[in-house]
Amino acid sequence: MASGAAAAARRLLLLRHRRRHLVPNHHFSSSSAGEELDGGRVKIFDRDLKCRHRDRAAWAMRETDPLVDAVADNLLDRLEDCRKAFPSAFCLGGSAGAVRRSLRGRGGIEKLTMMDMSVDMVNKWRELESATDDGPEMHFIVGDEEYLPIKENSQDLIMSCLGLHWINDLPGAMIQCRLALKPDGLFLAAILGGETLKELRIACTIAQMEREGGISPRMSPLAQVRDAGNLLSRAGFALPGVDVDRYTVKYNSALELVEHLRAMAETNALFQRSPILKRDTALATAAIYQSMFGLEDGTIPATFQVIYMTGWKEHSSQQKPKRRGSATVSFGDIRKQFGSNQD
Amino acid sequence: MMRRTTALLLRHAVGGIPQALADVLVCPLSKKPLRYCEVSGSLVSDAGRMSFPIADGIPCLLPKDGKLLEDHPRESGYETSSRDSSD
Repeated sequence: MASGAAAAARRLLLLRHRRRHLVPNHHFSSSSAGEELDGGRVKIFDRDLKCRHRDRAAWAMRETDPLVDAVADNLLDRLEDCRKAFPSAFCLGGSAGAVRRSLRGRGGIEKLTMMDMSVDMVNKWRELESATDDGPEMHFIVGDEEYLPIKENSQDLIMSCLGLHWINDLPGAMIQCRLALKPDGLFLAAILGGETLKELRIACTIAQMEREGGISPRMSPLAQVRDAGNLLSRAGFALPGVDVDRYTVKYNSALELVEHLRAMAETNALFQRSPILKRDTALATAAIYQSMFGLEDGTIPATFQVIYMTGWKEHSSQQKPKRRGSATVSFGDIRKQFGSNQD
Repeated sequence: MMRRTTALLLRHAVGGIPQALADVLVCPLSKKPLRYCEVSGSLVSDAGRMSFPIADGIPCLLPKDGKLLEDHPRESGYETSSRDSSD
C-alpha cells in the first residue's frame, strides 16, 4: 500500500519536474548552501500548509497527549544510555512540547533551544514554559528544518520528535543537523514509519473508490525502516542505530482519530492532494473503518509505527572498523586457535 | 510571563535575544554569521544580503520571512559589520 502510494508520488514528481521550468521559482537560494540543497530538491510536501497546520495545532493541542508523550519519553530514554552529558541541546519542530514535558533532567541538558516554523507554536511553547520555573535555560527560534539557522559545531545534541517526516529534503536536513553538531554530538530523531495509519489508508482508498471512482493521495509517503538506516549513513552519521516501535491507539470513531491528527498537525500536506473532501466520502471512510477494523467494544484501533534514529557526529574516540585488507591474521588461524572445540 | 520576559531583556545584549542564543544563530541560507541591526531591530546577514525580523524576542529565521537588502549600498553593510563584531 505504502509503496504504491510512494511510487505514485514519484511519478507525479517526475511530471512536476518536467514542468518546473515554466513555474517561476520563488525560493531564495544562495550559492554555497543552496547548491547542495537544490541538487536533490523535490517538493512532496507543502511546507506553507504544514506551517498553517502547526498554527492550528498550537490551539488544538491538548495539555498532554499519551501517544506523543510515549514517543518523546522513549526518545529521551536513549539519553540515559549515554554516559556523556549534553549541555547544549537543540530540539527541532514536531512534538518538541512533549520532549520538553518529558525531559525531567535527562541528558544533563543545561540549555535547550526549541525551533519550529510556526510562530504560534513557538509562542505556545514559550507560554507553557513561563508557567514552569525549573529546567534548563530555554531559547526559542522560528526556523525551518530545511534551512537550519544554527552555527556549525555548536550543539551537543539535536533531537526531533515526530517532525522530520514532513521534510522534502530529508538527507539535506540531516546533513545540516550533523554540521551543527559538535564532534561526538548526538542526533536523535523519531519519525513516523510506513505502517502508520494503515487502517485509515485502506478505509480512505475503499471509500474513495466506492464514492468517487478513483483515489487521490490522502497520506504521505512515509519512510520504511531500511530507509532510516540509509538516511543516517547518507547524512554521514557514525554508529547509526535504528529501531522501530509500534503503538496502537484506540479511538471511539474515525472522526476522533482525525481530530487527534489535527491536534498533532499530522494531517495531509502533500502537494498532490485533492483540495476537496466530499462529506459523503468522509462519512463512508468512517463507516468502512468501523466495519473493517472496529473492535468488539466499539472502538477503532489506529496503528502508529515510529522509527527511532540515532547517529553520532564523527569523533576520534569512537570505535571504527579497520582499513580493508589491514588484517594480519587470517580467520582460519583464529578458528584453529580458539574455535576448535566448536567444530 | 512578564517577569520572565523582563529578565530576558535585562540579561542579553542583542535586541531582545539572549546572548547565548545569538551566538549560535547563522543565516539559514548562507550559514554565515548574523549581526543585529539596531535601526531596523532585525538580524542582518551580510553574506546573503538579507534581514530577518525579531518578533517579541523570538528571531524568525524562515527563508520566506527574510527581506532582501537591496536599498543599501554593499560597502556600508560591511562597515557596520566590522564595527559590530569588534564590540
